[in-house]
Amino acid sequence: MIDPQIWRATRAIFVREWRSELRNRQALNAVALFAICSVVTVSLGLGPLMRSTDVALVHAAFLWIVLLFAAFTALSRVFVVEEEQRTAAALRLASPPIAVYLGKLCFNLVLLLGLTVLVTILAIVLLNIRVGATDLLIGMLLAGSLALVAGTTLVAAIIARSSSRGALFAVLSLPILIPMLVTAVRGTALAFAGVSWERGMAPIQTLLAYAVAMFVASLFLFATVWE
Amino acid sequence: MALRNGDGVKIFLGLWIAAVIYCMFLVVPQYVGLGDAGRIIIVHVPVAWITSAAFLLSAIYSIIYLWKRNTISDVAAVAAAEVGMLYCLFATITGSIFAEVVWGTFWNWDPRETSILVLLLIYAAYFALRSSVDDNERRRRLAAVYNIFAAVTMPFLLFVAPRIADSTLHPNCAFLQGSKCEGVALNLGDTKISQLGDVVVELKSLTKTDTLTQATIEVRMPGMKNVATLVPSLDSEGKPADRPEFPGQQFRMVLLEADASAGTVRVNMQAPGTNLLSNPRTLWVFLASNLGFFGLAFWLYHIRRTILQVQQVLNPGEMSI
Repeated sequence: MIDPQIWRATRAIFVREWRSELRNRQALNAVALFAICSVVTVSLGLGPLMRSTDVALVHAAFLWIVLLFAAFTALSRVFVVEEEQRTAAALRLASPPIAVYLGKLCFNLVLLLGLTVLVTILAIVLLNIRVGATDLLIGMLLAGSLALVAGTTLVAAIIARSSSRGALFAVLSLPILIPMLVTAVRGTALAFAGVSWERGMAPIQTLLAYAVAMFVASLFLFATVWE
Repeated sequence: MALRNGDGVKIFLGLWIAAVIYCMFLVVPQYVGLGDAGRIIIVHVPVAWITSAAFLLSAIYSIIYLWKRNTISDVAAVAAAEVGMLYCLFATITGSIFAEVVWGTFWNWDPRETSILVLLLIYAAYFALRSSVDDNERRRRLAAVYNIFAAVTMPFLLFVAPRIADSTLHPNCAFLQGSKCEGVALNLGDTKISQLGDVVVELKSLTKTDTLTQATIEVRMPGMKNVATLVPSLDSEGKPADRPEFPGQQFRMVLLEADASAGTVRVNMQAPGTNLLSNPRTLWVFLASNLGFFGLAFWLYHIRRTILQVQQVLNPGEMSI
């Protein structure tokens, strides 16, 4: 049984993150603009794609590339800001490491889900994507976002304690994210193509398994990074 | 005395690997269907296996470091990762040469090629992380965490992602007995290269009559030397009818599904089983190669670990790798 204090501390950190973010909206503005610019650029560069068997895969790949790079912009901030504003030491004293990790993870997850909704709607409209199975697409995006956040939050904590933060986050995260990205792109392409849930379940299960594995590993390792 | 023993091991390893290379070219028989290019697997496969073992060792030492916080475990993790990186590069290069000779392309984003590239990227990132943290203790701690975290993704990379892909250049399904490989889906007018085992396949036409559905498939054998057209078919009940043999090989092509209106088929290779190591000469040279490259890896690891330890003792406060 988890100590209720941990939940209270987690909730407090989550609320604090949102209060702090809504006060200056740095991450929200930067990420939303980045996402809009990326989708518009892809749409302008790509033009109307011919209908072929590979078009679903091309659309899915573009969608996840935009999501990935928007996530690189947004998700590392949660820990970098603590080091830059010199509030990390106070946070260490005030909350147990597990609550810090869970609070930041929840903040990142909500941020990424908002970003995913924005990017997906923009991509569907601007790239003229035909979604064959909407429910499967929603399931795939939810599972993919969980996997993306589970794979990057610990890396965000690692790079916050290094000297070259910005570039290092992408360098450290990308190799770890490739298995989930390959799965997410193929799964999203299946959803665009309109396959049944039976065929689309395998990528969702893989993404959820990846998310659980990375989440459990992060829970074990975070205290070591945070000390 | 220790130096003399070290020299002896060095000379013995050199002679052993020279003998393996000699046998690889002059003792091992040609593998049916792959010709002389098939000989490279005597080196490629052991090197790829040792890459995985070295990275696994590095992750284990990282766990030990986080547990005991002793510098020696961190040094061992770095030395193992460096040897793994070297072997990973060697496996990638030998694999690419083999791919160019038999499949006509150095790189085709085969799931296993992707896996080894990601391994290279992970350990390049590991070294990048080490060089970007100034404090010695923090560098060791963060690098160990990243090493363990990256190791958690390995099962997904090595076992899950390749199985979600439609096809692989590596003969992991078609050549294994009792395999449940689902074959490869082909579309009329596909611009993408599709492979079945190590054969490039392309659907040229699909015709349906009352009794038979016939797919005309162009096959390009390894080395691009032999191009043939095979016509596998399905009977009226949807069961495989004609199963033509690949030119010069004992494998047959079987049509599993066909949709004439959509212009799509699913074909597979029916294989009797793996035969490569059934030849005793090939088997013994392969085992000798495994031993030789394992010995070389251990020797390199030992030397690098000793150098890093000496560096730690001479300059304990100074930043090293």
